[in-house]
Amino acid sequence: MKWVTWENVGVDRMASAWLIRKFIDPQAEFIFVPIGQKPLPEGAESFDIPGVRYSHHRGHCTFYTLLKEYKLKDPTLAQIAQIVDEADVVQEAAVEPAAPGLDLICRGLRRASKDDWEALARGALVYDALYAELSAGNIPNEPNTQGD
Amino acid sequence: MHWLLLHYKLPPDPSALRVAVWRKLKRLGAILFQDTVWVLPCTARTLEQFQWLAAEIVEMGGEATLWKSTPALPGGVETLAAQFQEQVEEGYRAIFAQLEQPEADLDALSRQYQQILQKDYFQSQLGQHMRQALLARRGENA
Repeated sequence: MKWVTWENVGVDRMASAWLIRKFIDPQAEFIFVPIGQKPLPEGAESFDIPGVRYSHHRGHCTFYTLLKEYKLKDPTLAQIAQIVDEADVVQEAAVEPAAPGLDLICRGLRRASKDDWEALARGALVYDALYAELSAGNIPNEPNTQGD
Repeated sequence: MHWLLLHYKLPPDPSALRVAVWRKLKRLGAILFQDTVWVLPCTARTLEQFQWLAAEIVEMGGEATLWKSTPALPGGVETLAAQFQEQVEEGYRAIFAQLEQPEADLDALSRQYQQILQKDYFQSQLGQHMRQALLARRGENA
């Protein structure tokens, strides 16, 4: 399927594209349009654009919306959603120390990449790494989660 | 330099929504100007934050307009910038006061510092001193 979003990707769109390709649509093809452009290309699913289905809802980021809409129950993905929420939009309370750092890295990745496709490819590495590290901590029989 | 002006209306109920929006504005360090519009200096980040907040307000059944503007009267920029500066410096001074206590909780204070730093749009000198003061206290109570 084709997926369309605004150009100049940041933390939420990198995370969402990674999620789409890894857990929703392995054949996903991404298209970028200038910010605010209308109408959006036909036959493509849009994401992280204000007002579309896969976008921010009730103060949550697009990554969170995608998890919910596709009923992905993975606890590691839920934690990444919390981090992206805090990195991407101002929250009333923040509990994930990784959030500001992740925002900075994703902004920098876009700045250091020649285009949005390259930024997505590099961003995917960051989210693979985040997923690997967080899921290691989410294993129930790890000593630190067993309690006394 | 450009400024962002956010004007919004929310339904009176539920009041939780109004509180949520207000808390987010405070966290961003936005200033309520003349009791009418919320103001932030325009950066890539503040623009995005205000755009999403405006979208959220509309989704909650409210109305929101967002403007990018420049003051057309002389002195306007300085006055606004001074207000932003005063807001963060008040926060820094509160941390300094606590830092002087012998049992100061460095961990909690440095987190407070980081929160204020995010709203320090004009790189206050006091913030630089705050950073040095926090770092200088390391190892003292060990």
